[in-house]
Amino acid sequence: MDLEEVAKTYRGRVHALRGVSMRVRRGEVFGLLGPNGAGKSTLVKILMTVIRPSRCRGEMLGAPVGDKSALRRVGYLPEHHRFPEYLTARQVVDYFGALADVPRRERRRRGEELLELVGLGAWRDKKVRGFSKGMRQRLGIAQALINDPDLVLLDEPTDGVDPVGRRDIRGILVELRSRGKTVFLNSHLLSELEMVCDRVAILVQGRVWSQGTLEELTRESRRYEVVVRGEAPAWAGELEGAEVRAENGSSRLVLRGVEVEGVQPVIDRLRREGRMVVSVAPMRESLEELFMRAVTNPATGGVLPPGAARGEGEGGA
Amino acid sequence: MIRQTWAIFYDAYRELNAKRLFWFVLAVSGLVVAAFAAIGINEKGITVLWWQLELFGVTSDVLPPEKLYKAMFVQFGIGFWLSWLAMILALVSTAGMIPEFVASGSIELVLSKPVGRLRLLLTKFAAGLLFVALQVSVFSVACFLVIGIRGGAWEPGLLVAVPLVVLVFSYLYSVCVVIGLLTRSTIATLLLTLLFWFLVFAVNAADGLVLQGREANAMWLERLPGQIEAREQAARAKIERQRAEGDEARAEPTDEELLAVEPRLADLRERLQRAERNRGRWEAGALAVWAVKTALPKTGETVEILNRTLKDRADLEERDRAAAGPPAELGQMAGPFGVDQRALAARVEKALHARSVWWVIGTSLAFEAVMLGIGAWIFCRRDF
Repeated sequence: MDLEEVAKTYRGRVHALRGVSMRVRRGEVFGLLGPNGAGKSTLVKILMTVIRPSRCRGEMLGAPVGDKSALRRVGYLPEHHRFPEYLTARQVVDYFGALADVPRRERRRRGEELLELVGLGAWRDKKVRGFSKGMRQRLGIAQALINDPDLVLLDEPTDGVDPVGRRDIRGILVELRSRGKTVFLNSHLLSELEMVCDRVAILVQGRVWSQGTLEELTRESRRYEVVVRGEAPAWAGELEGAEVRAENGSSRLVLRGVEVEGVQPVIDRLRREGRMVVSVAPMRESLEELFMRAVTNPATGGVLPPGAARGEGEGGA
Repeated sequence: MIRQTWAIFYDAYRELNAKRLFWFVLAVSGLVVAAFAAIGINEKGITVLWWQLELFGVTSDVLPPEKLYKAMFVQFGIGFWLSWLAMILALVSTAGMIPEFVASGSIELVLSKPVGRLRLLLTKFAAGLLFVALQVSVFSVACFLVIGIRGGAWEPGLLVAVPLVVLVFSYLYSVCVVIGLLTRSTIATLLLTLLFWFLVFAVNAADGLVLQGREANAMWLERLPGQIEAREQAARAKIERQRAEGDEARAEPTDEELLAVEPRLADLRERLQRAERNRGRWEAGALAVWAVKTALPKTGETVEILNRTLKDRADLEERDRAAAGPPAELGQMAGPFGVDQRALAARVEKALHARSVWWVIGTSLAFEAVMLGIGAWIFCRRDF
């Protein structure tokens, strides 16, 4: 999936997406994160032809975005989906499989497998009417996989699912990746993404704030922190990329831009001078810290208002 | 492609099946047919199941069973049940289909499948007609069997009711689609569609009224000159007789003299003038209503096509003869327009039948196409 300059403006006022460019590689689990109203769902809906973009150049599975025939190889789980209440789990999977043009025999076979996979095997002949939120979500995932898609787009797949269900869903995602499928995941649950995503993009107010592997995104923040008892030596502050923070009774040397080899001479010197080294730890930003940094307005230090640009209404929903 | 279309149809069927109303309507249809079958006619009178009724003085000599059943089917089965009650129940059952189809949460899933939006909408529309098609088919085939078995007349012509009633429903359902897409509310869709239907009905009533007025006026125009002439001649003869008795000069009697002996002549002349003045107005009115009707779907007239094909020709011919019979003295017959009601009704019916079946169906289908076009335009452009 290769997107360039995807934009969506509602009624010429609300800018839900303001030129989004991103690339999702074949066979990876890609996470799109962002605060509520950032435009995550809008972006996915544009890819699924549910919303017509104001401007869009891009490809999905080798076909231009908006091409219906490419959707044959795509699975989609919308946010807040509603299945026909009068259908059973098996009928839901079968119905959407038929809409995706999957032959009857294959639908039958895969439907059974998938319902087992998502843990609804015992419920396959029960009407959706009686399903809980978590069960509907599981059914939604089964439905999204009925056409054996090459690309799966899941919008908040763990929404309303209990911890056990979440672990199951994560397992399914990993399983999909091992089968060479591409998974595009929308979530604001950071821990979810951290555990399964190969790469992430952070969407803030309709723009990609940052994208890459977790490693790449947090590289800048990578550092070693050396804690010594007492005051830090004067030379420590003069080291390249170093920062000294006094804590009660001890000092913390923060060394940026160095590898583990670069830390050794510092420790040697500290030891030679007879200082007590309390701890040496490699540190990096967590996804949550990264995310908070993304949604913080650098000018004011406050959190950016949710919603689309100009804060007008629920443009991104 | 066939797989997807079939899936949508099958889903529509399951949706209807899940609604109790579908089975309720079918059950009531069954009762109506059973009631038909229960009524019989013999040489003594009407029978209901095993009870013999002799109240009506109607026996199989006057009304053969075949005619009785056909009359019941046309008057009640088509005129009342299929074109009114079953239609309203069908609207109640299907009004929710489009709003539920585009409800947020379900439309995303459907749109994300490799099916074009236009095709989706049209298939859904066709699936909505499925309800009426199923109901009317069951009802008509059952009636066909009842008329055949009980009446002894096998009349496949009445199966024309199936496409005709489905056609009428499709006019209304196209309105349903547009309103459903705009409001996304089942209740609003149902009420506004019924309101629209009422509007069509009102225009139809206005059409009937204007046609009656125009035809009555035309009847005055046709018959008054003859009557005036006859009165004038009678007056002349009277004057001449008087003059012959009085031995007066034989001059042409003046108008005043004619009026003096025949006072109604003035009234008739005045009426003729008025009718001539009104002719243009009635024509314009009829044209205006006709133009409005051309733009609207013709629900009543489409069902009426069935009557045209089914009704015994003899019945109509009899009425034609009555219309062509000796001119009654105008103004002496009861009725709002002061003309012979039977003759007027025959003329209005003739005027209505002068509108071809192709005008009735063609313009209605054009309306439906416009509605579906608007619906498709809304549906294909909307962001869900």
